[in-house]
Amino acid sequence: MNSTLRQLTVAGMGVSVAETGQGTPLVYLHGYADIHAASDGWLPFQQQLSRSHRLLAPAFPACAESAEDEEIETIDDVAYRWIEVIDALGLARFDLIGNCFGGWVAAELAVRHPERVNRLALIGASGLFLPGEPIADLFMEVQARNGRDFSGLRHLMFAHADDAAALALLPDGRVDLAREISRYKVMRFCSRVGFSPPYFYNRKLINRLSRYRGPALVISGAEDHMVPIAHARAYANGLPGARLEILSGCGHSPGIERCEQTVALLDAFFQ
Amino acid sequence: MRPVQLFCWHFMPYPYLPDDFDQKYDTGWVTVPNALWDREKSDGLYQEYLDQLVYGEELGFDGLVLNEHHQNIYGLMPSPNLLMAALTQRTSRAKLVVLGNLLPLHLNPLRVAEEYAMLDSMSSGRLIAGFAVGGGPEAFNYDIPQPQARTRYWEAIDLIDRCWTEDGPFAHEGRHYPLRYVNVWPKPRQTPRPPIWIPGAISVETMEEVAKRGYDYFLSSRAHGAGTRKAAQRFAQIIESYGGRFHPFRMGILLSVYVSETDEQAREEAHEGVWYFLRNCLKGHLRREGRMLTFGPGVPSTSVRSWEQYLQNADPEAKMLGDAADWAELEAWGSITIGSPKTVREKLWSLIEQAGVGNLMIQFHFGNMKPELARKSMRLFATEVAPALRRDSAALFGRDYPELAEMDFGDAKPTGAAA
Repeated sequence: MNSTLRQLTVAGMGVSVAETGQGTPLVYLHGYADIHAASDGWLPFQQQLSRSHRLLAPAFPACAESAEDEEIETIDDVAYRWIEVIDALGLARFDLIGNCFGGWVAAELAVRHPERVNRLALIGASGLFLPGEPIADLFMEVQARNGRDFSGLRHLMFAHADDAAALALLPDGRVDLAREISRYKVMRFCSRVGFSPPYFYNRKLINRLSRYRGPALVISGAEDHMVPIAHARAYANGLPGARLEILSGCGHSPGIERCEQTVALLDAFFQ
Repeated sequence: MRPVQLFCWHFMPYPYLPDDFDQKYDTGWVTVPNALWDREKSDGLYQEYLDQLVYGEELGFDGLVLNEHHQNIYGLMPSPNLLMAALTQRTSRAKLVVLGNLLPLHLNPLRVAEEYAMLDSMSSGRLIAGFAVGGGPEAFNYDIPQPQARTRYWEAIDLIDRCWTEDGPFAHEGRHYPLRYVNVWPKPRQTPRPPIWIPGAISVETMEEVAKRGYDYFLSSRAHGAGTRKAAQRFAQIIESYGGRFHPFRMGILLSVYVSETDEQAREEAHEGVWYFLRNCLKGHLRREGRMLTFGPGVPSTSVRSWEQYLQNADPEAKMLGDAADWAELEAWGSITIGSPKTVREKLWSLIEQAGVGNLMIQFHFGNMKPELARKSMRLFATEVAPALRRDSAALFGRDYPELAEMDFGDAKPTGAAA
């Protein structure tokens, strides 16, 4: 599979964009567990998507090879910067997919630029404040118990913390330096925009969802321990053109946990 | 010649945890359930801790130290300024060190400038003003985004310094704390301002910021040995690179000490308190077991580059202070100095001699240590350890830094048992 990683300069800051596949452009905004998408490796579900789409995955500030930017302090700053990134990619109108906090950014872009987003897919998206339904504490869980136990982190990312896929992606103990750094960088970004208020939401977003009237597909694992399923329902209720797909037995990482099903849903939606 | 300055630091821990705390709970910080707080037993606790510090002044210690922590059992000092206000009225000679207010946790640095100026006035100019950025637990307590914490912190410090040294009203066109009218009443008692101390953990960046502004540096690690000397040398070089001059009182270190009649007796008496401190108070902070929140990817305060350097040089699964297996390990790490007056004197002297640091901030009370033991240790230190350290350090510093004779540190005349 052809895959390229290029560096753009947008508003003076370096942004790395991974690209693969052929077909209509599909902007992919990564989250925590799928940071690979924005660096040098693609997950199988992304490879399958790339058979019929040209996937463009910019890495958020500080993530992968993108520069850290002191000016990024709120999700608003990210939304303004990211539409410029999409401008730099030459996409006047585009399909958009966001996973985890990438789904949050995707929703923020869609409500700000509804005329540019053809279709919007959200997977396990954070971003909303729902009373009594808090998004879990990723920041706490990346602090391993006993210096090495990441079962809490795997529990947030997967329905079953001890599944092979979960253990392969997020094993206990230290991993190689490159992956350690890659994860640390993601947390630098998450901390900037997602640590306060606690956690990963923009209180105003829910009332802005009606701004985006295009087709939307909201996917959530029924056993998402990171973002409660109520958030997927709220996205589906708030986005006038949305359809909700809840995957039974699946956690926060549908692309990994339910690869075939997720690809089928996305392929059908973005056909 | 000015001798080594000896400070009493009290951490004011919660001493009434159940015996099975370590088995049952992951941490003594942030999420440690406050249902464990015993209102009956805790009645009078602050009074006792304040009394111990007042006793420190009676014994002739040069200063008393408090710091700020939140939602934890390690240090019951969400507001050290309240406690220090009480001490301004119960002491008359000792320097009062708040080390420090955690600036990013404060809504507005003006409040800190005001309260510190009040403390300096209320103590007739005895305040040493410490400013700290806060660690991981504090980030979780107050939801402080860590990548931005340091820029907030330094902006707050510069604003507070300006509050004290420049006449108002003036406008502060800051990024984080923009203010139209800055005009602090009262002004601090000391001219131009109280000494400013900044804690750090050997990071060059912090030392540079400190040296640039002419502040003093406090090394917050409890482990001492070659690393302490290296830190002092590095700080001295950095000060000189900014055109300043290093001397021993530009820097302080944190020590944990227990003194008794003999080495054996010291270990026996300190055992319960020290192990309560290590296993419970440090759990969640400086212990691998449980969930350590003090630093790491969840509270990514250091730059990516610094984190990479840390990973290359450190074993993230290595034991931390709270994981110490026994006295031998503690001794090897140079973290807690315990023994007869002679043992403690020799160890501390060798540290002073090697590192050339002039401010020793000493923790005498550990965990659930009985007050009478903490007092006994303080008394033995003041009468049988301090005099020799003072005598020898005055000679050493006089030889290496003759210019100290000309400097005015605003010290009161020593009194009490250790004078």
